[in-house]
Amino acid sequence: MKSPMRLAKAEDVRAIGLAPAAEEERKPRLLAKLKELRGSMRSLAVMLDTCVKCGNCVRQCHSYLGTGDPLNAPPARADLMRKLYRRHFTLAGRLLGRITGAEDFDAQTLDAWLTYFYQCNECRRCAVFCPLGVDTAEVTIAGRHLLSELGMVPRFMQQVALNLQKTGNNMGIPKPALLDSVEFLQCEMLEETGLAVKIPVDQAGSEILYIPSSADFFTNVDTIIGVAKMFHALGASWTISSAVLEAANFGLLFNDSAMRAHNRRMRQAAEELGAELVLQGECGHGWRAARLCTEAASGPVRFRLMHVLDYTARNLGRLALRRLSMRVALHDPCNYARAGDLIDEPRRILRACVEELVELAPNREETFCCGGGSGILMDEMMEIRLKLGKKKAEQIQAAGRIDYLAAGCSICKAQLPHVAAHYGMPDLAIGGVMDLVGKAMDMNRSTGGV
Amino acid sequence: MSYVDVNGKQIEVDEDGFICDPDLWNEEIVRCFARLEGVDELTDDHWKVIHYLRGYYRQFGIAPMIRKLCKETGFNLQRIYELFPSGPAKGACKLAGLPKPTGCV
Repeated sequence: MKSPMRLAKAEDVRAIGLAPAAEEERKPRLLAKLKELRGSMRSLAVMLDTCVKCGNCVRQCHSYLGTGDPLNAPPARADLMRKLYRRHFTLAGRLLGRITGAEDFDAQTLDAWLTYFYQCNECRRCAVFCPLGVDTAEVTIAGRHLLSELGMVPRFMQQVALNLQKTGNNMGIPKPALLDSVEFLQCEMLEETGLAVKIPVDQAGSEILYIPSSADFFTNVDTIIGVAKMFHALGASWTISSAVLEAANFGLLFNDSAMRAHNRRMRQAAEELGAELVLQGECGHGWRAARLCTEAASGPVRFRLMHVLDYTARNLGRLALRRLSMRVALHDPCNYARAGDLIDEPRRILRACVEELVELAPNREETFCCGGGSGILMDEMMEIRLKLGKKKAEQIQAAGRIDYLAAGCSICKAQLPHVAAHYGMPDLAIGGVMDLVGKAMDMNRSTGGV
Repeated sequence: MSYVDVNGKQIEVDEDGFICDPDLWNEEIVRCFARLEGVDELTDDHWKVIHYLRGYYRQFGIAPMIRKLCKETGFNLQRIYELFPSGPAKGACKLAGLPKPTGCV
């Protein structure tokens, strides 16, 4: 089955610094790049060498369960790269060929890679249930990177990468627009609280550089409002940077060089502003990239790196919170639960902010993906996205009546309303965790404020 | 690229049906896009949203925050969806001749 996903045109791919390969150049370049990765990405070689086809992961993969497509089962997905790897980089595969599972590049290889590496949400649930710890996300990440090195990039990813190049954020928000939005939000907060709650922009000498998701300045304004109120109540010295208004790092999702480049934006902004602490906002994969890749991408850094949910959980005792009369379910974003060490923090925050916290089942490190993970947010992929969101929808339905679904990740916030509407929950309110902190805070009683 | 016929004139649009050159935008194009977006009749309320988006885009080069759009036009989000069934980012921005908002939205 050929994917409905649209690819960027050659000239647009060049505009983000990648070089499209002519047809006859594809196979040799793919093999050369795979050889390179095999040396530089040790995890990839381990994942490709290790699988024993026990099948444990198959019934745990929401992509397979939602689409029913056997090629979406994790071992089949990894085999798309594994067979080529065996054929060219293992002695047995070179000598014995197919009987060892080795197969060469053919006319279908790239179509299959584009289809199935972009139906994996890189959620890493398979790795939790694999007795050997095989993590298919590592193979998907490498597969998408290799495709990009041939110039095969989804149009959606290319547009985001171009915006990042121009403005330092996914949406392409220029500084004058940011300043206008900040002024509007400050007026909104003044109207609501009677207090001059600020969102400082590019303020040198701030202790904290806060890196929001750019979607907070379009659809998810309650998230940045919650963050601003918290900083106000704590009397914190903080700023956002117009140069890096983006916690997301789509490079992790399609091209390693783009990932490194965005990581360096964070380092540069923090150093220019003199920030001691960089706090990442509500974005799952961005937190994963920042937490796990900063040292490799940007070298040793002088600032401490923390997630806003961790920071908030540590400061709960200094915030005057009134529990909102709501029944709230928590969705664990994959990258918090399986790559970000953020499992208890959102729970502690929500218990302080709402009367009833409902657990979805399964949860924590066994959470199911929303179906949009790894940036599968393209409109043309909607039918597939809804299938990828099926397991999450079943979990939410099983939770009974809830007033709000808390999802502290912008990709989840973009994907879940479509999932909820499709599976019969059109009125479900969905938003971030910090949104509720902002609503629960009694601004006149919070201590430590200025 | 594909083209939409607006009273005999070919207007280039991207794969999602958004205008490629925002400077070509005019009210005839709005009427044509409206039919494609399932907006049967363009009322004063539609034009209020369209003109606000257009003015903001000309000043700042991007769509305003949804909350600001609601506040400045006086329409809540539900009303915006009634006016533009595919929503503020897809429907309203398309009719106003803005590029498609992208990112985690």
